[in-house]
Amino acid sequence: MSIALAVRLATYLLVLDGIVALVLAGLLGPAGAAVALGALALSWGQEWIRARIRTRGLGAVLVGVAAVASIVDLVYLAETLLDGFVHLLLFLVLARLFTAESVRNAHTIAFLAFFMLVAASSAAFDVGFLGVFIAFLLLSTWLLLLQHVLTESAPAPNRVVAGGAAQWASPRMLMGLAAAAAIATFLITTALFFVIPRVGLAALPFRGKIGSLVTGFSDRVELGAYGQIQNDASIAMRVHVVEGAVEPEQLTALRWRGIVFDQFDGRAWSVGRANRVTLRRSPASDYRVGPFRGRGPQLIQEVFLEPIGTEIIFAAPRALRLETRAAEITLDDMGSIAVPSPSARLHYRIESELETPPTLGALRSGPRQPLDEPAAARYLQLPTMAPRIAALARQVTAGSRDAHEAALRLTAHLSREYRYSLNLERRTKLPPLEEFLFDSRAGNCEYFAAALAVMLRTLGIPSRVVGGFQRGEWNPYGRYFTVRMRDAHAWVEVHLAGAGWVSLDPSPRADAEDGTVGASLYLDALRLRWYRYVINWSLRDQVEVATTIRRQATAWRFDRAALREWLPPRAVVAGALLAAAGVVILVRLRRRRAGGPAARATAALPRFYARLLRALARRGLRPGAGETAREFAARAARALPAAAPALEGVTAGYERVRFGAVTLEASELAALEAAAASLRPSRTR
Amino acid sequence: MRAPDWLRRLWHPRRTIWPTRDGWWTLFAAVGLGVAAVNTGNNLLYLLSSMLLALVVVSGILSEAVIRRLRVAAMLPEEIYAGRPALMGATVTSAKRWVPSYSITIEVLEAGRAARFIYIPRIPAGEGRLITWEATLPRRGRRRLDGLRVTTRFPFGIFLKAGQPTLREDVLVFPAPVPVPTHLLRQLSAGGAVAARRRGRGSDLHNLRDYRAGDDPRLVHWKSSAKTGTLTVRETEAETALDTRIVLGSGGDPARLEEAISEAAALAAHLLGAGAQVELAGRGLWVPPGRGPGQRRRALTALALWDPAAADVGAPPLRPGVREIRVGLG
Repeated sequence: MSIALAVRLATYLLVLDGIVALVLAGLLGPAGAAVALGALALSWGQEWIRARIRTRGLGAVLVGVAAVASIVDLVYLAETLLDGFVHLLLFLVLARLFTAESVRNAHTIAFLAFFMLVAASSAAFDVGFLGVFIAFLLLSTWLLLLQHVLTESAPAPNRVVAGGAAQWASPRMLMGLAAAAAIATFLITTALFFVIPRVGLAALPFRGKIGSLVTGFSDRVELGAYGQIQNDASIAMRVHVVEGAVEPEQLTALRWRGIVFDQFDGRAWSVGRANRVTLRRSPASDYRVGPFRGRGPQLIQEVFLEPIGTEIIFAAPRALRLETRAAEITLDDMGSIAVPSPSARLHYRIESELETPPTLGALRSGPRQPLDEPAAARYLQLPTMAPRIAALARQVTAGSRDAHEAALRLTAHLSREYRYSLNLERRTKLPPLEEFLFDSRAGNCEYFAAALAVMLRTLGIPSRVVGGFQRGEWNPYGRYFTVRMRDAHAWVEVHLAGAGWVSLDPSPRADAEDGTVGASLYLDALRLRWYRYVINWSLRDQVEVATTIRRQATAWRFDRAALREWLPPRAVVAGALLAAAGVVILVRLRRRRAGGPAARATAALPRFYARLLRALARRGLRPGAGETAREFAARAARALPAAAPALEGVTAGYERVRFGAVTLEASELAALEAAAASLRPSRTR
Repeated sequence: MRAPDWLRRLWHPRRTIWPTRDGWWTLFAAVGLGVAAVNTGNNLLYLLSSMLLALVVVSGILSEAVIRRLRVAAMLPEEIYAGRPALMGATVTSAKRWVPSYSITIEVLEAGRAARFIYIPRIPAGEGRLITWEATLPRRGRRRLDGLRVTTRFPFGIFLKAGQPTLREDVLVFPAPVPVPTHLLRQLSAGGAVAARRRGRGSDLHNLRDYRAGDDPRLVHWKSSAKTGTLTVRETEAETALDTRIVLGSGGDPARLEEAISEAAALAAHLLGAGAQVELAGRGLWVPPGRGPGQRRRALTALALWDPAAADVGAPPLRPGVREIRVGLG
């Protein structure tokens, strides 16, 4: 492949990479991508087309039409300014590809392709951007190097190419150079990326992806709303367990609490009389969101939320402390946390004190903290409903000694006697809850939660419904839970006088474990790392890393025993050293045989002459600056008359090799070496 | 007081780096993206800005790797004449053991005209390349060459890295060569030629000898060959002009003076070529008599360096049998 063709190929691949970036970012739809790719293919074959079709003037007309279309698009049609600029960028790239006459234009095209990546960076947060970025880095170093070779090798009126460009033309050598440059660029990029201080406060990205509002996480939720998303396998969030007293994998009943509902109107749950407060960032740059009770193990979670269009913060109950970039958050009296800033919601760290089921002893001996009158009324609110629901509740809980036992009986009854189903088609004209309890006897988690909460309220036990997510799949490679949209879940919190609010889950839904294994788990772990260490890399992380390095550096002591333990066995060390020595010898032999630098150095200063110089240096005779070999030999002969013949012979030999480009016979070399050696001063004992 | 080394190095760095047009674009884009990244907190912008900065860093490292330990040695012509192009040469040798030098451009600097470039695609480690170029030095005398500069745009063409100018050597420029003026030739022929009693290309017979392979057949002496029966050739005597003292006048306008110097040089070269003994005299100028190439070089050197305003050194009186030719007087 010629260098010019390689430059062209690299240019087209760069543009293709830019288009992929725009598609990943959602800035270019399938139709737009198809048009751009078609134009790209057409411009590749333009020579062929021009040779067959008379296109005189057609190109100018097409470019004019496209230019006008781009301006109209930018001013009137584009959804946002960014979309308009993206279209304009595409037009410029393609126009340049159609009109580029020399490889010099490749630089301009590469710059435009780079700005495609810049445009994509405002909206592409997926790990796919990493692939696009690496491809761009490889291709751009390759292109820049090739273009440099091509431009520099071109003769010009005041420029001569010594030896011709053919000396460059080893593709293997160029590939090797480009690969080395790309690897070095990648490593330095990585280092710079992590080191450059994140001094700016992360405001909204240019085009933050808010995402469509997901049913179920707003202030009002119809019964059955979760059913719409419970077939959706897309990822809602990833919860990295930073630190915890228990192994996260063993926490089978873990749930991510989100929004809490207190009002029921027979068809929908809503947040009725919640008392919301706005919290501002505390001096320690975190938010205290709940009191520490010391009743359960603590768990620190780092949550990477996909843009699912809700303001809710999800966390294992009960949340204690929240770290987020948001300047303020809102907290209601039911423990629901909301963050208005969308970018701040995408990554946060939260500390929770996990719930433990209340023991009978604790319930009986714990401090009695009944709800006050208005709160009790709030959590016992019920719409007008069929008396048979209350009757069923009384029937199931008959004989219960206290509210806790009644709640447990109702939970057990629902999960045993009713079936979990996502088929939520209405079969009767009864109110939804009545139909679930007495006719269909099947429903999704919201029906179970609503039934339990309502039945508890009919018995005078305060309760509320919680919306959130089930635990999700455990990813052992990244130590995090992958929570999907289908893990959306509803359960109940019941107020028990001795224990406060206690979670109960009447839904018999099986754990949403699927067969995700192997490569996809690895890929997802990579995705999490991308979010964690690239998208969300912050000043706080930089400070943490610096502090850790400093702490470890100051704490470091030379430990001989540890070193011995760390070192591999002696045989392995010896083997490695031998192998390294073998490689060095082989390389040297090969270079010498190939006339490498070592051999050339010998030709420049023959060994026998170097030996002569060393021998004379020992006698205090050194060649002066500007003194020729012959002059030096004459001076040395005056100082050492006995050595005159040897000096003359070795100098003559040196002149033949150095200036006459003569290759001496082995016997001649040996004689000269012996003559040079004879000049060494004899050792005295 | 002598400034410390590091300070002098700061003032006169070993290498200079300057962005090319693409380099400026790269720097502007890196800074612009950096500002955008700080403003938005978008880490992907930090990533792209880091990539551009990394390209700059890698470009600096690789260009330094190719340009370092390159030695340039001059190979200058023995004789350089004013106003005549001279073929200059230099060897560029890599003193590195392993790493080859790629894409080296040698910039030939010449005051008053645009630099010329000699591009060397590759110099393997430990090897050298010979480069040559033409240079015309306008005036006689000792002149300092403007030198060469080793530069490279390797690897991405976004920065031009250049070493300090090297090979700023002093060279001696002989007077501009001119043909011997006719009036001087006439003065020469007025003196006539004298046989030199040695073999040469004259017209008088010096000797007869046997023909040897390679002899000019026109020199065969047919009469003697017929007599002796073996091919015999003539050997002629060399002819030489009279030994001459060339006296340079120092008056007149500078342009005429330079012309006179060139004429004197041409005359001296002509006479020395013909085997005559030549001496040079003038105000502040005295080249003792001598003949052959050594005297030619001495005469040209003296004329190249002659300063008519210098103090008179006083030439000895003219020896008998030596004629005097005055150049540039009146």
